[in-house]
This record gives sequence, C-alpha cells and structure tokens, in this order.
Amino acid sequence: MQPITLALAKGRPAKSTIALLEKTGIHFHDFHEKSRKLVFYNDDQSIKLIFVKAIDVPTYVEKGAADIGIVGKDNILESQADVYELLDLKLGKCKFAVAGKDDQILEQNRQLTIATKYPTIAKKHFEKKGQSIEIVKLNGSVELAPLIGLADYIVDIVETGSTLKENGLSVMEDIENISTRLIVNKASFATKSAEVQHLINQLKSALE
Amino acid sequence: MQRHVTEMNENKNVADFQMRDELITTLKNRFTTYGYKQVRTSTFEHYDMYSNIIGTVNKDDMIKVIDPTGKVLVLRPDVTIPITRITAANHNSNTFNQRLFYVLDVFRQSAAFPNQKESTQAGVEFFGENTPEVDSEVIMLAIHTLGDMGFENFKIEIGHAGFFKELIQQAALTEQELELLQTLIQSKNLAEIELFLENMPIENELKLAIQSIPMLYGEPGSVIEQAEKIIRNSKMQSVLRNLIDVYEVLQDYGAEDYVVFNLGLINNMNYYTGIIFQGFVDKFGQPVLMGGRYDNLGQQFETEMPAIGFAFEVDYLLQAIQQQDLAEPDSQAVDIIIYYMKEKQKEALTTAYELRNQNYQVLTFSKDSSSIKPLSSITIVNYDEEQNVVSTKGRQHRFSDTKDILSLLKETKGDL
Repeated sequence: MQPITLALAKGRPAKSTIALLEKTGIHFHDFHEKSRKLVFYNDDQSIKLIFVKAIDVPTYVEKGAADIGIVGKDNILESQADVYELLDLKLGKCKFAVAGKDDQILEQNRQLTIATKYPTIAKKHFEKKGQSIEIVKLNGSVELAPLIGLADYIVDIVETGSTLKENGLSVMEDIENISTRLIVNKASFATKSAEVQHLINQLKSALE
Repeated sequence: MQRHVTEMNENKNVADFQMRDELITTLKNRFTTYGYKQVRTSTFEHYDMYSNIIGTVNKDDMIKVIDPTGKVLVLRPDVTIPITRITAANHNSNTFNQRLFYVLDVFRQSAAFPNQKESTQAGVEFFGENTPEVDSEVIMLAIHTLGDMGFENFKIEIGHAGFFKELIQQAALTEQELELLQTLIQSKNLAEIELFLENMPIENELKLAIQSIPMLYGEPGSVIEQAEKIIRNSKMQSVLRNLIDVYEVLQDYGAEDYVVFNLGLINNMNYYTGIIFQGFVDKFGQPVLMGGRYDNLGQQFETEMPAIGFAFEVDYLLQAIQQQDLAEPDSQAVDIIIYYMKEKQKEALTTAYELRNQNYQVLTFSKDSSSIKPLSSITIVNYDEEQNVVSTKGRQHRFSDTKDILSLLKETKGDL
C-alpha cells in the first residue's frame, strides 16, 4: 500500500498537530523539534509526513504532492487552492481584520490604500463591499504602514490585538475567522478514499 | 530583438507534440469503437447565442472579436452548445440517436490565469435518448478511455444535478447565499457550512440534510442508504432511483471499481438536468473529465432533444500522463535508412518510394553530399559501388531489388 502523504506547516502548528496525531495513536518516533529532517514516517509506514512552509501547504495539496495538508485558514484563503477543506482542528484561532489608527473610522467614499501581507484576501474583502482600493504588498511590520503614511489601513491577522495596540492601531472591521484546517487533494479523496477518510475520522475523534 | 517567451504554449517541442498526438489518437479510436462520429464546429460563434443561454460561460471569460459589420463574435468558449445547435437544426424526427465526438480547442480568459487562454477538449455528445442504459454507456466510455491511457488508479464521481437543487429549493435562499453555500459544499467545508446554516431561518431537519450532502460520498451502496434518510419528496426519490438504475447497468459492465457516488457534486454549468460526473486520476487535483445529462438545452434551439455528454481536458491528461510517467519512450528511430553512392541514386530513390508505398518510414542519405549524422534504425540499406546490402536484426543480405528487402523484412518480422 502506498503511504498517505501529509504536509504540515513548519513551526507552531506542526507541534500541536503532531501532539494531536500522537493522541490518535499515530507515532513519529524519529521526530523531534530540533531535527532538520523534512520527511518522517510513522511506525507502520502508512503515513509520510513532510514539512513545508505554511504558505506552500495548499499548493502541495492542490498539485497532489501531498494527499492531505494541515495549515491555517489564512494560507488556504490567500492561495485560493482548489481543495477539499474537511476539518476544522480548532487550533491557532485568530482572525483577519482591517485595522487603522485609533482615532480613525473606516472611510468609504474614496479610494483607500491598504497595506498587507495578504493581497488576495484584502482585495476580495473590499471587492465584496464595493470599495475600490489600492494594495501595497508588504512582507512584515505591516503595522508600520499607517503610522508613516504608506497606507490608510492594514489587513492582517489579529490574535490578541496587542501588537496593534502597542502601535496605536485598532481593529475597524473583522473579515474572517482563522483556525487550523485539514485540507485534502480532490483526486486523493477519490482514489484513496478509504485511507483518507480513516485518518480524518481518527483525528475527528481525537478532537472530541 | 525582443525575445518572446510563450508561456501560453505548453507544448514546446516535437516530442511533446508526438505524445499529445498519440493521446488524441487513443481517444479518437476509443470513441469510434462506441459508434461515435467526429464533428467540428466553427471557431467563431455568435456572442448573442452564448449570452442568451443562462448559466453557461461567464460573459467576461469569453474572448470577443468584432467582425466588419459590427457583430460581436466569440472564440468558441465551449463545444456542447454549438454541437447542440447544429444537431437541433438538422433534427427532423423523434426517433433518432446521434453519437458525435470532437477534439477541439476552446478559448476562455480570466484575470486569475492570464496565461491560460486556450485548452483542448476531447468530448462526446449522445443525442436522442434518456435511459439509464445510455447514461451508463457514456460513463463506461469514459472509464474505458482512461484505462486505455494506462491510468491504474482512477475514479469517476457520479452525482445528480437534481438532488441538491431539490433540497435547496425548500430553503429559500437569496442568490448570494446560494452561491456561498455551493462553494462551501464544493469544497466539502463542513465546519463553515454548519456556521453558515446556524443563523438561517431554516427548519432543523432541513439543516441537517444540507449538512450531510458533502459526505454523501463513496461506495454507491452506502451512499444510497444514507441519502434515503434525507429524502424529502418524490422528486428526490426519483433522482435517487435514477442513480441506482444507472449504477446497476454499470455493474453489468464490470465497472464498479471505478465508480463512486458524490452527491455533493455541483457543476457550474447550469444546464445539466440529470446525472453529472467527473473523473479523477491519481495525484492530479483537477478533474480530467467532466460531463452530464442536459435534456433541456435543445429547447433553447426549439427542439426537444435529450442529451448527455462529457469532455476530457486534453492538457490535464497530458500533465497527468507525464507526471505518472505513463508515456511510451519517444522513439526517434525510423524503420529504414538507406545510404547510397551517387551512382546508384536512381535505384536507391526508387526503392525508397516503393518502401514508403508499403507504409515504412524511410530516410535516404547520399554518402557523397550529406554530412548529417542520421538517426538510429533497425534496418539499414546500403547501396555501395560494387554491392547492395541490407542489414536487419543481426542479419545481412545482398539484394538486387525492393522485393528482396520486403521479403527479408517479412521473414524477420517476429524477431527481436
């Protein structure tokens, strides 16, 4: 039997997902946090675990390089991958939000400049509202943009809101809730149906 | 000079094209064995025809052209609609069956994929009858063809356009809500479907029925069993009956290993009225074929004409074949190479002509003038000054004319 390939995002989500898998009786003996290895097998070789960058997980799954992926909703939304999204693991909860300077309100009758790491999500959100925007794509320290006049608002992930607060920003509008999701390649769901569904059911019962 | 990088054209070299051509030949041969006849439709179609038919191709996706009289034309964005129009126009009796197939390029544009404007579809359309036997024969043709291509692990997902439609009609959703719900069901996003339904003014039993749709998936027997639990009216009952009937015929084809039911299957082409299906091959996340029954499309052209069809995405098939290494190694070789001295040119060229008449691939090289190093070949023919020699499969013979070569080729045909 071919093993099921499971793509995990490196970092914090990987740790909690592996803990969850351990709970269902799936062990990865040679896995430890400091390891630089990117591929691991479980004890009976039925699951092959690969570690990739979070934003790439949906791509690996969509293209069939992995059958299943476990990754944050933020990355699924941004990549717009055509995959099944079968399970909410309810880990790493946070949300996408529009934020701006404390004394501002969200304007509506002019074109707005939005700084973000997530251009697709920002574009889709404002399109839905019929608001025309210009996007400034940044790769970090997005909170800086409104302060120095690079953008009017930002679209970013908000967990506790403390980063925003420390920089004198606050949430103007929620966009979407985020948590860790399990995604499945559509072909794998058809051709390896039994194996895939078995793993999902195991995870489901571990969650309860 | 400006360099043009053509990202649009995936097939960059001769070997790729050979592979594509072989694939298309395989498809055509299989379609033909089921009694289908090839047709072609015009590359240019009237924009109005497409914009008048509801629920087909997004208007923005069509590539438009304006002709000298000011009429707006589109580059064929889909084949099913023009074929239906042509068949409807030629249709003159109620007792007819027509099996047609095509291999044609379709053209669409989208902002998301600016480099994918054309793709090749190879499809079949069956006009004239709506019976489970017809439906299953068409699905069997898809299965048979996927087998021909060497795929080992593939599945046809079968659903029904009416099942979800009937269920959702009872929920009275707005168009936007319906669109969102369809997207969620298509991605089997159970968590968000639940969230979406939570605040809707829908009775609980219906909510549970809608939530169960994405997981009505898998082995037909068990899907039917689960689906029966959420049936709410006679229409849904007859939809399920239809699926069972089709599956029973497929079992008699011995096709049950390749079929799963997916009642969460929703096709964005809105004209489907009955069975819908799509095919997946191992490790390829997009369906390589899609199709279904569309009995009402003929009415758009004033004809009652039940119909079912499907189309392969040839480019996807090629990608999957390459990905799984199913392609036969490309042979650069030809059947026969003839080398000749200038003095024997007439003899050599006559032989080449006669061999080609017998359908052998033949290349000729003049030993005096050609400096190109030729390709490999199983059979080599030499016209030297004092003798003519043919060598094939480790045997060497002198010969006097083409007949000798042909009889040697016949003799050694079975040898390796």
